[in-house]
Amino acid sequence: MAIETKNIIETRLGALTFKSPVFTASGTYGYADEYDDFIDVSKIGGVVTKAISLKPREGNKHTRILETEAGMINSIGLENVGIERFLKEKLPVLKAKNIDFIMNIAGSSLDEYTQLGEICDANKIKAIELNVSCPNVKSGCLEFGVSADSLYSLVKGVREKYRGFLIVKLTPNVTSIEELAVACKKAGADCISAINTLKGLEVKFELANGKFRKTKVQGGYSGKGIQPVALSCVNRIRKAVDLPIIGMGGIYTLEDMLKFFAVGADAIQIGTANFTYPDSAQRLQNELKEYIINNNFKDLDDLKEKIRTCFNE
Amino acid sequence: MTTKKIHKAKILNLQKCSKDMYLLELEADNSFKSKAGQFISVYCERTLRRPFSIFSQKENIVSVLFREIGKGTKYLTSLKPNDTVDFSGAFGNGFRIKNKKALLIGAGVGVAPVFYLKNELEKQGTESLLISGFRSVSDIPSCVKSDFIVTDDGSNGIKSNVIDFALSKAEEFKPEIIYACGPKIVLQKSSELANKFNIECQVAMEKVMACSIGVCRGCVIDVLKDGKVQNATVCKDGPVFDGNEVVWQ
Repeated sequence: MAIETKNIIETRLGALTFKSPVFTASGTYGYADEYDDFIDVSKIGGVVTKAISLKPREGNKHTRILETEAGMINSIGLENVGIERFLKEKLPVLKAKNIDFIMNIAGSSLDEYTQLGEICDANKIKAIELNVSCPNVKSGCLEFGVSADSLYSLVKGVREKYRGFLIVKLTPNVTSIEELAVACKKAGADCISAINTLKGLEVKFELANGKFRKTKVQGGYSGKGIQPVALSCVNRIRKAVDLPIIGMGGIYTLEDMLKFFAVGADAIQIGTANFTYPDSAQRLQNELKEYIINNNFKDLDDLKEKIRTCFNE
Repeated sequence: MTTKKIHKAKILNLQKCSKDMYLLELEADNSFKSKAGQFISVYCERTLRRPFSIFSQKENIVSVLFREIGKGTKYLTSLKPNDTVDFSGAFGNGFRIKNKKALLIGAGVGVAPVFYLKNELEKQGTESLLISGFRSVSDIPSCVKSDFIVTDDGSNGIKSNVIDFALSKAEEFKPEIIYACGPKIVLQKSSELANKFNIECQVAMEKVMACSIGVCRGCVIDVLKDGKVQNATVCKDGPVFDGNEVVWQ
């Protein structure tokens, strides 16, 4: 006889419930089931889709990625298929395979964000993450995400059109991430995710026949090296607002994930680690479950409460 | 389906075969399948896996030829037989093998996939000629058997640029197709050479990669398709492209 067991890592974010607190970060996991060759994607907390814009985008022309000592720099430039193709080709896959997802959207004007919100609402998309923090595009995104005033208007504009779960992904490239979080809350956001990539530059030189040759990428820095920055940001947001927080930045291990819970994250996203270990989300989720069982915590909420108490003592 | 593309493989052999090239032989599981021109992504204790063209596959034994050029590849060369290597793949589109008299051009470490291809062509009884080019004698990998070896400095084999030599050979060999792998300039010239003879040319490209499966869009190149310039990922749409499809500049 099958025994119905309680899902001890079930995660509530506002009004929504997810199978686990482990999500995959936008831009590292495709739109839907692209990682199905590595894990059963429908088993993880959810996929945050690649950023989707109103019209398809070609992305940037120059070299797009370069590894650094403790991570990587990317300058993809939001290449994506656009919302029309996403709804036609990718959404049915997500539904058919029962993959939980958060749709990441990016606009190049306030009006575009609002239109995207409206389309998501009409298509009953349960959760969206506003990308207001991509450092790799000429207009839009980051420029809205660095000032509390413009971010407030943007979030409010989307909120008026979109009735689902509204997440805003914040940039660390500001003086006060707390002010941004407060602006999001005032404007009616349901959740904050943090952090997007740090502005970075990497260059590699090669000396051939006495002449230097370079490969250079200026863009968003991600991976292990950004974790302390991310932890600090999440903790400051936690103190500033009482919204749920999805934390991310250099998460590779169970220990990394627990640190994010300790500083105030309710769920986490795995980004660059997907490139190093394509099965990261499934593996970390399993490890979290085992950790809870082996150490006699009641469930994830119990674990979170205890680790937070310890952190804040 | 889960984990079918992640392999933990035992190192059977790791052999230095030129100044900086190594042949790594791995025992993959029986489900592993590959084609000439495809690649595997090897975990190197760094953020990004290193994509290596497959050099050969015999049953479940797969080998790659790589150059030790940085920290990731230095990690690999520090390993010993019986150590475990984590790799994923095989990825990408390999060469579209035709039953046509083939000229194979391999430059530097780019000789790996064309060497694999040459063996496949031999198996199906297709005539082929492999010309491999290197800077100098110390760059020639001992594990590769070529029909002709050229070096830029003439320190071994014929002193020539690989393309100049391929052109002179093509005139007498009269290939019906060219397959090439190497630096971008060699691929561009190979494609031009094929156009001169009005024959097909397949080129295997290389680019820094992150995801290996086409989702991160980190390794895109420009290709001409349906009359317009578009992005194509080297990892998923390639690494083998039609030479005339690639926008070279």
